[in-house]
Amino acid sequence: MYNNGYGASYHEQRLQQMMEQKQLRDFMRMYSNLVSRCFDDCVSDFNSNTLSDKELTCVNRCTLKNMKLNERIGQRFAEENAKLMEDQAKLGR
Amino acid sequence: MFGGILGGGSQKTGPAGPGGMGGGMGQPQMDPNAQLAAAEQEMEMVTDMFARLGDLCYRKCLIQRYSDEELTKAESVCTDRCVSKYFQVNREVSEKLAKLSQTN
Repeated sequence: MYNNGYGASYHEQRLQQMMEQKQLRDFMRMYSNLVSRCFDDCVSDFNSNTLSDKELTCVNRCTLKNMKLNERIGQRFAEENAKLMEDQAKLGR
Repeated sequence: MFGGILGGGSQKTGPAGPGGMGGGMGQPQMDPNAQLAAAEQEMEMVTDMFARLGDLCYRKCLIQRYSDEELTKAESVCTDRCVSKYFQVNREVSEKLAKLSQTN
């Protein structure tokens, strides 16, 4: 029991909630950045008000490619971070 | 994705923050509100770093946009190296900053 009267599981719940909220916010931000990026990279012809086939293909590829990029970065990030923590542990920090 | 990082048990010492990404959570005696704040801050740092990596490696590695929906071999290799070098720069900068703050 902590000083504020709440048990450990309550605090674990709060931590969990915080993380979930942050992950949701992070996802929303990633999504809007992706839309901006694909628009920026794929759309430059305003002679029409609908996306051409070329633009649609581009947007499709852009979305998939960037998702794969993020996935790969995530994998390398986790590896590098594990290495970093290992180094810190070795240094006795 | 980053749950494992916050779960790490190593302590952070020395100059605040820059060198370590994995520490700060292994302190059972810590006030739970402070612990929550620390976890929140660490998560913020991690997501910020990830967003920056995403943007930087996209700019530096995805040159040919968009010939295909898969990452090419060149782009994949570039991405791996991009992340690796970013972390190296992170280490270099934090070491230099630590040295500078010691000599002052």
